Amino acid sequence: MTRTYALHAPRRPSRVRPYGITRGRTAADRFLGVERLISTVEFDPQRVLGMLPETAAVYEACRYPRTIAELATGLALPLGVIRVLVGDLAAVGRVRIHPPAADIPDRHLLERVLRGLDNL
Amino acid sequence: MASTISDASLALSAKIVIAGAFGVGKTTFVAAISEIPVASTEALMPVAAAPADDVSFARGKTTTTVAMDFGRIAVDDGLTLYLFGTPGQDRFWFLWDDLARGALAAIVLVDTRNLAASWPAIAYFERRGDIPFTVVVNLFDGQLTHELAEVRDALDLSPGIPLTTADARDRRDVREALRALIRHALNLLPSH
Amino acid sequence: MRKILIVGAGQAGLQLAHGLLLAGGYEVTVMSQRPASEIRHGRVTSTQCMFGAALEMERRALGVDLWSAAGSGHRIDGLGVSVPGPDAAPAINWLGQLSQYAQSVDQRLKMAAWLELFAERGGTVVINAATVSDLDHLAALYDLVIVAAGKGDIVELFDRDAERSPYSAPQRSLAVAYVHAVRPREEHPDTSAVRFNLIPTVGELIVIPALTTSGTCDILFWEGIPGGPIDTFDQVADDPAAHLAHTLELIRRFAPWEYERCAEAELTDPGATLAGRYAPVVRHPIAALPSGRLALGIADVVVANDPITGQGSNNASRAADTYLAAILAHGDRPYDQAFMQATFDSYWARVAVCTAWTNAMLAPPPPHVLDILGAAGQHQDVADRFANGFSAPDDFADWLLDPIKASTYLAAVTAR
Ligand SMILES: Cc1cc2nc3c(=O)[nH]c(=O)nc-3n(C[C@H](O)[C@H](O)[C@H](O)COP(=O)(O)OP(=O)(O)OC[C@H]3O[C@@H](n4cnc5c(N)ncnc54)[C@H](O)[C@@H]3O)c2cc1C
Ligand SMILES: Nc1nc2c(ncn2[C@@H]2O[C@H](COP(=O)(O)OP(=O)(O)O)[C@@H](O)[C@H]2O)c(=O)[nH]1
Ligand SMILES: [Mg+2]
Repeated sequence: MTRTYALHAPRRPSRVRPYGITRGRTAADRFLGVERLISTVEFDPQRVLGMLPETAAVYEACRYPRTIAELATGLALPLGVIRVLVGDLAAVGRVRIHPPAADIPDRHLLERVLRGLDNL
Repeated sequence: MASTISDASLALSAKIVIAGAFGVGKTTFVAAISEIPVASTEALMPVAAAPADDVSFARGKTTTTVAMDFGRIAVDDGLTLYLFGTPGQDRFWFLWDDLARGALAAIVLVDTRNLAASWPAIAYFERRGDIPFTVVVNLFDGQLTHELAEVRDALDLSPGIPLTTADARDRRDVREALRALIRHALNLLPSH
Repeated sequence: MRKILIVGAGQAGLQLAHGLLLAGGYEVTVMSQRPASEIRHGRVTSTQCMFGAALEMERRALGVDLWSAAGSGHRIDGLGVSVPGPDAAPAINWLGQLSQYAQSVDQRLKMAAWLELFAERGGTVVINAATVSDLDHLAALYDLVIVAAGKGDIVELFDRDAERSPYSAPQRSLAVAYVHAVRPREEHPDTSAVRFNLIPTVGELIVIPALTTSGTCDILFWEGIPGGPIDTFDQVADDPAAHLAHTLELIRRFAPWEYERCAEAELTDPGATLAGRYAPVVRHPIAALPSGRLALGIADVVVANDPITGQGSNNASRAADTYLAAILAHGDRPYDQAFMQATFDSYWARVAVCTAWTNAMLAPPPPHVLDILGAAGQHQDVADRFANGFSAPDDFADWLLDPIKASTYLAAVTAR
């Protein structure tokens, strides 16, 4: 059986890097995946006054940690807009971008997930 | 001050991608195990030629809605696992990249009544090579109509990729598929 | 500060973004669908040969030359053409000298570095694959949204301009391999040159010296006429080694004079091959989003020619240069539809000749072009003029694209 692909991308001949999160080294690598958690740093209602409505909505929603995807569905905004707003808020220290779970070594993380599933 | 989170207790998240063709049971699979109702992020993409179910906007542009479903499972106090379903259209590969980047692992769901529809999803993860994945046959009518070996053959699946079955509506089946996936990912780690 | 969003981190988007940042007074955001490290370690995207004038524009916009010829050891000083004859040796075979050197710096290397530099210089980078919904909302948050997404799916937002797009199907299949261990042409071992090998009814083999992540290399680039013997790379789509073997076998068959120097070629890296096709297209430059807000297209989004003449990146540089000047000149006034149209119009005035020239090259060459290619072998002036047209294609309107002007020119040269 032959398959043809629109992309013609060659298959990677070998595993060149361990799977898991691509860790950002510079700002040009910082990717806010749909699962990344965001939380507000010291929520202050006064600060909301000077913000654009969308920005304020993110700032308020993240009083409890929320993922990028949850922010998008909760605020009815597209993912790209959430990424822009979160990036802007993070740049001025108003929200914190949680590290990806894969900062924990892979084996540890996978075993932790497996335990969690066992306990469901 | 309302809630303030200290760095030491930062909640963590990880994601697993549930991929496969339209109608293969991705949303059902996620819903079966998620502790929240399945939510969906939606976005419009333009399309050149107009399929029947499309909506139009200014200047007659045709668009299609791409939706990504997700649900979540609390793994423990500090870690939440998110399950994301790929968009139904498998031509917007750049959105798949966006979804798959950083995923812990992936499951490709297949329907034996239309195996060809699953090729692009399988090829996608084969080609990436950096995300462990398994293939799960969704048992729509409760039983397998073909031998798994036949399915593997028809899918041209390499021997290293686990192939199992599940009923996407059944929570225990879904849980078992996820556990098998994680065990597969663990097996792929370099041993020390 | 005026807020400008640029969607797409390619030649046009990043060159414009840096230009605006250096000019000052703009808050510039670049939305890239891939992080810099993924661009750098991904698959090749082009052969990206850029000539003197376009290189000068990009250096001016960036304010720095990250791959100076002296520093990188990479420069291209000539452009040659070969056409097969009745036996194994080419019937037409000459080299034109470039008055300014050209370069092909792997876009993986260049765009990753430019994106990182942009972030270091204070620009905002957002990694996101933009959808129509994103653009629609973001157009309300920015003063201007520029779509620099190359050939991405999102560009379907921009309507095809049928009048300016003579082709509706791809005119060539494209197959690229980046390789090490290719020797220089023995006719000019000391001149690094782009070599065009024109094989009638079959296609073109273009060999381009380049700089990639592992140092200097050469790119073997087949352009195949659809349905012909070159249009067969689908068979090797998933296998870089087979892609290279196929490339070499086709060279042996159709451009045997190039074979020997390529025989030991090795792929530079696992992402060194690319195959595909696209229809050349000119689009209307303004997209109306669902809310009625507007976005402006640039470079490949609005004018995507076949790569046969190696002008796409050069045009992207010309586009960034034109749009930068237009934005700076516009001051505080709103970026309305009239501004967008005028900006594109001044770009089109600059590059319409490239589209005409490129589309002409896709058709079998008319007699006056054959005369020129032949005469270039006898008269170095003709060869040099042809080569330098790649940097300043306006000149082609004065001879190559016009049978009467061409014969007048050739008569003058021959009389000398
Ligand atoms: C095989 C081949 C050979 C070529 N050879 C040459 C040559 O020798 N000389 C030459 O001058 N030109 C050449 N070209 C053409 C040249 O590569 C392009 O014209 C040039 O890269 C166009 O620049 P751009 O900035 O418009 O787009 P691109 O360089 O394509 O950049 C667009 C960027 O936008 C990104 N993007 C796409 N969609 C989205 C989205 N939705 N959200 C966010 N980002 C997005 C893409 O990932 C990409 O990074 C060649 C092209 C090909 C295919
Ligand atoms: N009988 C049966 N129906 C299923 C099963 N899984 C999904 N379905 C149904 O198939 C349809 C498509 O499923 P859905 O989860 O929406 O598919 P998706 O497009 O991949 O998200 C829905 O009507 C589901 O109820 C299954 O295991 N058995
Ligand atoms: Mg679904």
